[in-house]
Amino acid sequence: MTIDLLPLRVVIADDDPDIRALVTIAVKRAGLDLVDSCSDGTAAWESLQAHAPDVAILDVAMPGMTGLEVCRLVRADARLSGIRILMLSAAVADRSRQAGLVAGADEYFIKPFSPRLLAERLSLLAAGATR
Amino acid sequence: MSTALAVGGKLLGPISPLTKQGTTVVVYLIAIFFTVIKPAITVTSVPAISASAVCMLIACVVTSVIWRDVSRWHLFVIAWAIDVVAFAALQYGTDGVDSVFAACVFAPLIALAFDTFRRYRVLTAICAPLAVVDGILVFVVRASILPPDAERIRDDVSFIILGLLAIILVMYLVRQSRLQLARSEQMLAVSLQHSEDLARSEARSREVERSLRGLWAAITEQSAIGTDVTGLIDAWNPGAFSMFGLMRDEVVAKRHIEDFHLESELLERASELDNPVGDSERSQGFAALVEGARLDSADVREWTYLRGDGTQIPVDLSVTARVDDDGATIGYLFVAVDLRKAKQVSRLKDEFVGLISHELRTPLSSILGYLELLREGGDAPLSEEQLGYLNVAERNANRLLRLVGDLLFTAQVEAGTFQLDERMQPLGAILAGCVESARPVATTAGIEIKLNVEDDCEASVDAVRLGQACDNLISNAIKFTPSGGTVTVGLSGSASGAVITVTDTGMGIAADELDKLFSRFFRATTATRNAVPGVGLGLVITRAIARAHGGDIGVTSVEGVGTTFSMTLPLLESQWVSLPIIGARP
Repeated sequence: MTIDLLPLRVVIADDDPDIRALVTIAVKRAGLDLVDSCSDGTAAWESLQAHAPDVAILDVAMPGMTGLEVCRLVRADARLSGIRILMLSAAVADRSRQAGLVAGADEYFIKPFSPRLLAERLSLLAAGATR
Repeated sequence: MSTALAVGGKLLGPISPLTKQGTTVVVYLIAIFFTVIKPAITVTSVPAISASAVCMLIACVVTSVIWRDVSRWHLFVIAWAIDVVAFAALQYGTDGVDSVFAACVFAPLIALAFDTFRRYRVLTAICAPLAVVDGILVFVVRASILPPDAERIRDDVSFIILGLLAIILVMYLVRQSRLQLARSEQMLAVSLQHSEDLARSEARSREVERSLRGLWAAITEQSAIGTDVTGLIDAWNPGAFSMFGLMRDEVVAKRHIEDFHLESELLERASELDNPVGDSERSQGFAALVEGARLDSADVREWTYLRGDGTQIPVDLSVTARVDDDGATIGYLFVAVDLRKAKQVSRLKDEFVGLISHELRTPLSSILGYLELLREGGDAPLSEEQLGYLNVAERNANRLLRLVGDLLFTAQVEAGTFQLDERMQPLGAILAGCVESARPVATTAGIEIKLNVEDDCEASVDAVRLGQACDNLISNAIKFTPSGGTVTVGLSGSASGAVITVTDTGMGIAADELDKLFSRFFRATTATRNAVPGVGLGLVITRAIARAHGGDIGVTSVEGVGTTFSMTLPLLESQWVSLPIIGARP
């Protein structure tokens, strides 16, 4: 008997299209299913509510709503409790990372990030999680 | 002063010839008067009396010519001599040596004696004894040729003695009055001097007051408020007006300094100080406010001023005690600088640095990310040459990234927002890591890198930051050392703590540049001359890290021989532990 594992569903949000594309590549390499790609915080929040994905990759500094705000909204919403949140940020100070983790992020990636490492991290997530 | 001298001269100056002659004339007229009305006075020679009157007239004429002009004194002496002749003729005309007017000859003599001019006094001194000698001669002559007559002898002797006494008395009085005059003159001069000094010092104090007033009015950007010892306001400058919008008359002697402070802040400070309230202080809050000024000469700290409309103004407030001549505190002076603008500037700077950091790092993220994808190649692997180009692009992108990181870090250090994540860890391992990561670069540059750990120890440090500091020192050493040189990283213990040294055999640093090395954006001439890359932030950051750990960094260098940077980190005695030496290589 085989257990059929569907790929994890991912929503990404970043205001920079090049970074979005880079993250998309990493997501695909990890074999995950990209369901939506948003360019601002408000769109990201709507998309998360609509798709209820397994993983959200959020940029911190976005127009509309910041990644931290989106993160807090997700954590406050019981229907979205299963989402694993990965933050991407260009802010390097320790307190920024702390702020991300306090807001409810599971992982915190500092830009510039290695697409290979991000893909590896996502693969690990996929391997460790079942739907 | 010149007026005073003129007045003094008038009072004490020489007696005018007219005055002297006038005295003599009065005496002469009295004598003539008595001669005319008293039949008892024997007139022996009318021509002699007439001659005497003529002489007196001539003397008066001569005197009237010179009038008040004291400079033509020789004319006066002539007039005076004529006076003496006139009295002698009068004496001769009225019974000669027996004349009742014999003593009158002293009249011009006395008039002469009263003068500040020394020459007249000398003349008096010479003539007076002559007159007396003349009397004595008359007495001796008469005693020898006339039969002895007791009455006449008594008269003659009395005349001589009286004459002598008169002269002595006159000279004495003249001397006394002259001394007194001199004394008054001196006192007058002294008091004149005093009044001048007083006028001068008054002018000076007016000047000082004027400039102080001007200064007080000119301080419009700082609020300066003076109070008495109870905090009651007694001075209020234009700066205080612009800060609070209250006029001087609305606050002076009406409001207390605490009325303009955030009460909660005062109470918080008071509880921090935990001081009993002094007798003269109105409240605990006021005592807290002036505590520093009471103990030291000045106290500067941040406080919050409260305006009438409830607006809070953060200020840098300097509190100083005002003291009287005996050093007793009679009040306080509160000088405040509005910090609102400074705080805004600091916030804007933080925002700017954050923005720049973000805006630079985002494109760098794309560059580095896509370069990595390119390197991995996918279906078509890159050629050796293409990989070489890629390496250059990657290396430079990383260099830019480090620079952004350094700038951001420097800004954090300046803003005081930089914090350490300290944990107990062996220093030797951190250094070994740094040396290992620098080895490939050193090898490429043909430089030998050595680690020499004498005593390892555990210390509470931020491994990432300390590693960054050591990386900076090592990469500097490699950059400034020519091929074939050696870079030695050492760790040893000293009385002050752990000492990390990085020694190179490089080109060295000029002595006059050593103290500038730790300034932002400073680059040594050896760096610019040899085109060594860098912007001059590495050592600033390294020192900031050392200082954040409670340590410091120093440098010694000999041009053409090498440079040694020594970073000391303070340690507790218990932190020295015996550890196996990690990563030490020959």
